Amino acid sequence: MAKTDGTTDSRQPLISIRNVCLSYGNFQALTDVSVDFYQGEMVGLVGDNGAGKTTLIRIISGIIPPTSGEVYFDGERITKFYPKKAIDLGLECIQQTIGICDNLSVGRNYFLGREPTKRFFGVPFLDKKKIRDASAKVVHDFGLRDTVDVDDEIALLSGGEKQTFKIARAVTFRNRVIIMDEPTNHLSVRERAHVNELAVQLKQQGLLVIYITHDIFQIHRIADRIVIMENGRKVTDVPRDAMSAEALEEIIRDGGRTPAKGVKSA
Amino acid sequence: MRKLLRRPDIGIIIGCIFVFALFSLWNPQQWFDWGTISNIGQYTAILGLLAIGQTFVILIREIDLSVGSVYGIVGITFAGLENSNISVLLSFILAMLLALLIGLINAVLVIRGKLSSMIVTLGGLFFYRGLVYVTTHGAITGVPQAARENWLAQLFGGHWLRIENGFLLLLLLGFLCAVTLYQTRLGNHLLALGGDPASAESQGVPVNRVRTLAFCLCSFFAGLSAIVTLTNEPETNVSLGTGMELESIAAVVVGGTLLTGGRGTILGTILGAFFFTAVRSEMIALGAPPSWYISFVGIALLVVVTINTLLAKRLKTT
Repeated sequence: MAKTDGTTDSRQPLISIRNVCLSYGNFQALTDVSVDFYQGEMVGLVGDNGAGKTTLIRIISGIIPPTSGEVYFDGERITKFYPKKAIDLGLECIQQTIGICDNLSVGRNYFLGREPTKRFFGVPFLDKKKIRDASAKVVHDFGLRDTVDVDDEIALLSGGEKQTFKIARAVTFRNRVIIMDEPTNHLSVRERAHVNELAVQLKQQGLLVIYITHDIFQIHRIADRIVIMENGRKVTDVPRDAMSAEALEEIIRDGGRTPAKGVKSA
Repeated sequence: MRKLLRRPDIGIIIGCIFVFALFSLWNPQQWFDWGTISNIGQYTAILGLLAIGQTFVILIREIDLSVGSVYGIVGITFAGLENSNISVLLSFILAMLLALLIGLINAVLVIRGKLSSMIVTLGGLFFYRGLVYVTTHGAITGVPQAARENWLAQLFGGHWLRIENGFLLLLLLGFLCAVTLYQTRLGNHLLALGGDPASAESQGVPVNRVRTLAFCLCSFFAGLSAIVTLTNEPETNVSLGTGMELESIAAVVVGGTLLTGGRGTILGTILGAFFFTAVRSEMIALGAPPSWYISFVGIALLVVVTINTLLAKRLKTT
């Protein structure tokens, strides 16, 4: 993979954040953040609570507009921020707590917001056969239990299975960007390994994966690049090979007071 | 069998069978009298239509306390227009547009105003009722005889093969709503919004559009219910529909729809309306003081919801 050899900067970034600031009243959540994300790479977005990781992601996912600064997607400046826009651009945010409705079946969750229909006397009805077949295939392909019936309520799945399901859904709808917000919290060791494996596979398929976590050691093993945030600023942005996990952890522990040397140079 | 027991409306299905059997054995002469049956059909239609609208709102975790007053103001607007020189069709259209407008106002206040639907519609409950008093000065005339013979009035208030048209309308619309809820994209969006609004939005469900539609449907059904009432029974008064909001909510909840949203059926709601109507009718027939009915609603609500909750717990653990 050619993401760490310095050639990345010559390509056009898929998502480009330029001088973005965001304030809630007097509180400055993001200060002058600039960062580029490229297709086919996995970026670990790391930082303490309140560092601004989630705020940054909320801007990228179109939930809140920045107070100032620019956001580009595939070279095009984004001027309107709303979730549907991000979805239409092929961006999916996988979060621990949201993304699936526990009261609906596995199949209905799979197609939520994109339900296939079949016309009957000109009236579009849900195409239940397609819902069942397509979701059953995905459930099978992504290694969920064989006993999972796509007509069952999704609440019957375990935490890891739900995460896997969300990733599977994001992938099969040909997304270009997958943002994973603490995807392995509360998961067992084996489930965590499975989710991380999936994340790597996504990157290898050419997707941009932005992986948010607290665990620098976990992400250092799988990411191509690490971005550290602190107090609403980006303090470090290095290729994985440029620094050890221990050195990165040191930066986080210091609260970003000692910015890494050699930022952006491998 | 397990699938049947897992239905959210299983409590009311059993309740209706029980009530039906009880009254058939206890008081067969009056119970199987055609007059009683068509009466129960008509009142089930009135309460059922209101409750179907309410079901959509409750399914998305909101509530509409204004339906009783909307029912009142739409009915009285319809009757009032009949008494002027406007055609029946036009007064029907105007009255129903008023219903839709009220639904839209409720939705806008909830969505744009970021207010709780309980507060918005509680305000509506008082406001529209007050408006009825102010505009009519407390005196209203019902739908005139000539207008009642109009085809449109007959469509809503007449009967076909001795069955009240209101009841047929309830069955037809109930069927359409049930199909919409479980067989269409809109239905899936309603259920998803009720189950988990943030998740629904994250998957691209147009949540505000769905909310607006639910509130508009609710007011629309309240208006329709008023038309069915007035075309059948022309005499009316300014308190038309008072208390109906709570009765409609009771019918929805007894019918198995969760107040926390995301789960419920239209069949349950219609059966809930039938349950209360049948029991009220039978209590009157048996000579019980009519005021007992109010206490009965309270007890029935608690009993059926308790059964539902227990069944749901049993099924989860086994």
